[in-house]
Amino acid sequence: MSWSLARKVSAALVAILLCTGLLTAVFGYYKFEDVLSSLVRSRYSFVVFTIKKNIEDRLNLGLALRQLRQIQETIELEKVRDDQILGIEIYDARGEVLFNTDRGGIGVSVPAKWLEPLAQPSSQPFSLMDDDMQLVGLPLVNNLGKVEGAVVLRFPSAFIDRELGPLLSRVAVELLAALGLFSVIALVASYVVLGSVGRRLRAMERTLATVLAEGGDAEPDPTDEGGFESRYAEFVAKTREAVEHIAESTQEVERLDRLA
Amino acid sequence: MIRRDFLAGLGGLGAVAAWPSGLAAQPAKPPRPYRIYMALFRGWEEAAQGFKDYFTNQGIPVELIIRDCAQDKSKLPGFVAEAKEMKVDLVFTWGTTVTQEMLGTFDKVDPAKHITDIPAVFAIVSQPVGAKVVPNLLSSGRNITGTSYLVPMETQVNLLRSYLPVKRLGMVYNPLERNSLVAIDELRELGTAQDFEVIVAPVDVVEGKPVAASIPGKVASLKESGVGFLYIPPDTFLNVNRDILTQAALDQQLPTFAAAENPVVTSKALIGGVYRYYTVGQLTAYKAEQILVHNKPPQDIAIDAPKRLSIILNMPVVRALGVYPPMNLLSLAEVIDGPGGKP
Amino acid sequence: MRLDRSRPLLVRLFVLAILILVPPVAMITFRALGEFERGMVPELDKKAAAIGRDITAQVERAVELGIPIDHLVGVDEFFRPVLMANPELRYLAISAPDGRVLFVTGAPSADLEPHYREAGQATNLTIGDFLDLALPVQSKGERVAAVHVGFDQGYIASRLSDIFYDIAVVLVASLIVAFEILLFVVFFNVTGPMKLVGLVVDRARRGDFSHVAGGLSGDEVGHFVRTLSTTIRRADDQYRSLMAYIDEVRAAHFDKSVVERVAEIADRVKFLYRFAESGRPAVLRERLATDIRLPLFLFVFAEEMGRAFMPLYAREFGQSTGLFTTEMLMALPITMFMVGITVASPWAGSVIARLGTRRVFLTGLIPAAGGYFLTAFADSVVQLIVLRIVSGLGYALVTVACQTYISRATLEGKRAQGLGIYVGAVLTASICGTAMGGVLAERVGFDATFVVSAVLAAISGWLVHRLLDPGAEGGKAADDGDGSASDKSLFSLFANWRFTALLLFAAVPAKMALTGFLFFLVPVILWRAEMSLPEIGRTIVLYPLIMAILSAVSARISDLTGWRTGLVAIGGLIGGLGLLLPLPQLGLEPSMAVALAIIALGVSHGLSASPQLALVPDLCWIECHTFGRTRVLALVRTVERLGSIVGPVLAAAFIPIWGLTGAVVALGGVVLVLSVIFVVCSFAFGSGLHLVAEEDGE
Repeated sequence: MSWSLARKVSAALVAILLCTGLLTAVFGYYKFEDVLSSLVRSRYSFVVFTIKKNIEDRLNLGLALRQLRQIQETIELEKVRDDQILGIEIYDARGEVLFNTDRGGIGVSVPAKWLEPLAQPSSQPFSLMDDDMQLVGLPLVNNLGKVEGAVVLRFPSAFIDRELGPLLSRVAVELLAALGLFSVIALVASYVVLGSVGRRLRAMERTLATVLAEGGDAEPDPTDEGGFESRYAEFVAKTREAVEHIAESTQEVERLDRLA
Repeated sequence: MIRRDFLAGLGGLGAVAAWPSGLAAQPAKPPRPYRIYMALFRGWEEAAQGFKDYFTNQGIPVELIIRDCAQDKSKLPGFVAEAKEMKVDLVFTWGTTVTQEMLGTFDKVDPAKHITDIPAVFAIVSQPVGAKVVPNLLSSGRNITGTSYLVPMETQVNLLRSYLPVKRLGMVYNPLERNSLVAIDELRELGTAQDFEVIVAPVDVVEGKPVAASIPGKVASLKESGVGFLYIPPDTFLNVNRDILTQAALDQQLPTFAAAENPVVTSKALIGGVYRYYTVGQLTAYKAEQILVHNKPPQDIAIDAPKRLSIILNMPVVRALGVYPPMNLLSLAEVIDGPGGKP
Repeated sequence: MRLDRSRPLLVRLFVLAILILVPPVAMITFRALGEFERGMVPELDKKAAAIGRDITAQVERAVELGIPIDHLVGVDEFFRPVLMANPELRYLAISAPDGRVLFVTGAPSADLEPHYREAGQATNLTIGDFLDLALPVQSKGERVAAVHVGFDQGYIASRLSDIFYDIAVVLVASLIVAFEILLFVVFFNVTGPMKLVGLVVDRARRGDFSHVAGGLSGDEVGHFVRTLSTTIRRADDQYRSLMAYIDEVRAAHFDKSVVERVAEIADRVKFLYRFAESGRPAVLRERLATDIRLPLFLFVFAEEMGRAFMPLYAREFGQSTGLFTTEMLMALPITMFMVGITVASPWAGSVIARLGTRRVFLTGLIPAAGGYFLTAFADSVVQLIVLRIVSGLGYALVTVACQTYISRATLEGKRAQGLGIYVGAVLTASICGTAMGGVLAERVGFDATFVVSAVLAAISGWLVHRLLDPGAEGGKAADDGDGSASDKSLFSLFANWRFTALLLFAAVPAKMALTGFLFFLVPVILWRAEMSLPEIGRTIVLYPLIMAILSAVSARISDLTGWRTGLVAIGGLIGGLGLLLPLPQLGLEPSMAVALAIIALGVSHGLSASPQLALVPDLCWIECHTFGRTRVLALVRTVERLGSIVGPVLAAAFIPIWGLTGAVVALGGVVLVLSVIFVVCSFAFGSGLHLVAEEDGE
């Protein structure tokens, strides 16, 4: 396949266009996901915070964490309210799950990394991320200032994609359509821009062929004084002259050769 | 990726104090329960219960040897000897008297008369420094630690003024009780700093005894001089006569703040800011856990009070006065409502 | 349109590129933002509901405790922290069943009341830009009030809006890349071959048919070149058959006069026309300086990607070891990279002489790209430092190869043009790379950004491998000067005090400020000022941007007026003073002060960089003759790089003493003092022997 100038240029333009489009889309998507997931996280943090307040108020009455039976109902209610929540768990400082929206999970031990935030001196909110789920949590502090455990809420990481799948695919289709359209425009436009170059070159080739075959002169563009075309015209003329001269010389030699 | 904004969405409610948590080391369970000698002053009550429940809740096996001197000081040397003989792991002392008698004051410790080798924790000592149990609250400098249970005056005043930012604070008191005199000094000092006025009215004293019947008149006089809130100090006489005092205040439409539970829980004071004995008992147990389970030397453990104040609101009084608590305070408070009392 | 000149064609193509790139990206960005904003609403709704529920529960508790709804106390203090913690919430309110606003925080009640009266029991309202969610407050089964949570749709837009900057950076970078690629395509496919054709045509129109143009591309230009070549070859064939015939006649013919006549014909033809001696026309090839521009651009792009965050990356590995402070460990990767360059550069010249530019470029790419790639997987600061040295070695080989290639390609023409190609590629790559690196690192992380760097470097290698004709490697360029003097005597240059002053008090401080301030302190300070990586990148880009604009201007001024010393002196002073801007006494915000200092540095170097280089032959005309100008300039570069090496180390040493901004000021002080010394020296420059530059340009 031969690559014409227009094809080369349009290929370059289309490649840049696609890269730009892709990069923009990727950045846009990540930014969007960022904003959205921080919104989601802050909502769940708020939910977790209200549960924490609820629990700590009771701890303040001197009740032990594992005695707070009503908390089980509270967290189940929260989970019913929002079906995106995978689960809410409350575990003590040793990592034993005391309450869990999944009742089967009560009594098991939480992963070690869920305990790490509790060892921090400042009982800050924490957030952990897995491949397929995210977690927000808050340490539970009793009125002695001691970390008694933590409440965590798990939600799926992918739910943003699920939730916004249609929206994203709509935007993606539009993006592809725009890229496609402008790729075609790039193709057409570069043929237009570079077509003149091609035509010019072909015209010069034709002139050369014509002049050499039939004689005559190349006619340079009069506006192009001293430019390439006038030099080319000289070249054509000179070439024709040379070819003719050599042909004449050859005939001359032949004549001399035959003379003998 | 590095994200600086992280969980921005938490309400700025409820300040949570920092505390180095003690869950770092959890050594293997001991072969036998820890033996704790509990020396009480007036029987089993909330602080002792809180102390005991803490171990139960934390799953720490303890054997409690409970001795009550029933307000009889003379039994205490016997307790000291018994504790030493039993070679208990820790001694718990309740109240200033028991603590002073069994552990000695820091400037007069006699290994013969006091417990020295066995670590000890004390609770319900109103002035640990004043009573010379410890030289300062950061460290006892010896083999003991403990808890304080009085709410600092500044905390009380802040709470009171967050309910109603009054300019004039009134106080009826028994001039014979030292506690009340101390409270007046502290209040006046804070008044200068925070720009409020303290107006006091001592109850009448006849033949060396305070007269309860003079209380309503004193309350009325305070009301007249423009007092906006009545402060009830931790005063034994007033505690006994709390119904007279709080009813008189209610009659005068005067809100009352109590430094102890009783006037709010069992009488008609509007609001109280206290550390519950139960909580104090738990905190004392927490310190005992540091010593027993985590082998922390008692002199390294500061003497302090629980982190979170119990705010008790008496709703019938609130309604009767029509002076309503701010929403933030309400959300933190325990509420006494109706004859049941408890929330 | 003239075919051997590229500008008109390039302008058209570049306009085309803008028309093709900007509209779709802009269109789709606006469309997507709109979609995203709508997509956020349900989530906002849920969050408002969660907050509303919590507030409602507390209000209900108060009401149940007997507090009349209109007598709630401290509602404002209750609402305010919630609003503070949740910036997307605009207001919180409580309304009576009749729509009266009892309490509101964050909005005037007059704006809300009419809507509430009208709406009655409805739970969702739109009030202006706000969505209002109402939750009923029940007491004893009766609706006594409603809690309203008002949230702001515009908030989402504002959160999303900083994506505009990212997209703008991507777009501008794309345009620059597009420009570079178009430049390359046009030069490689049109201008270059046409220039060769021009040479061939010029020869042929004077009767010289000994050369044809090389080039084998399949496009129109290639076709044209082949047509031309065919024509010339045909003429050549005819000439050759004529000559063969003549030879045959001369060898075989018995008639002397015929032989003579034939020889005359041969002489006439040879006199009139020139054909190749060797039997066929030679293929004329010429390297173009621009051929190397795109690979160079990509390569520098790759290196500059790390510019915005290199010290921050080093910091991630952490803590001070016994010998070095944390600051020093953050500075060392930058310094050691410079060490790598300094070590390899003098040596690169001799390697190029042996292996040729193409092979050195490709050889240099291996450590450079390998260094980037492995940096992504480095897990200690020592590894990072070693990798930076390796990358520095490669960087030196590649850039020196490019410089040599360009200078050989432009030997006949003007040198300044060649230098322009080099500087242009480096500056545009620096602009693109720094900005894109910041954006990319923010999104995909430091490690992945280094992988992208490695890929870019590899692409640049592939281009060189594919496109640079290995055969076109011209002979060794003649070095000016005889170059026979030994290296040792090269140091006698320092006896020329003007030269030494220029180096020590102008060239060295300039580089110190560049690496110590711009490369090291700026990322650290801006990060500390809570700027994001893309913002840091955009701020650093101010430097190459201003430099690019100014250096063209200053080169012209310096050539026109010959006022080179003055420009260098003024540039130095501006740079030094600029670094004093973060002085706390001036009361500027640290990030603002740093940005202004970067601008000052850009102005400084923009003014002084090219006059400084041009000043060298001015100041040591004789030495340039003895040692060769290339070697003198190489010495300048080496000494200059000592400044690059010292800069970050010096800055890192200042931090523990004076803090971050203090370090900037201290560095500025050092630069300023050195510059002032240069100013003083420069007054004496004119008093001695003054020689005009040996040749124009450079």
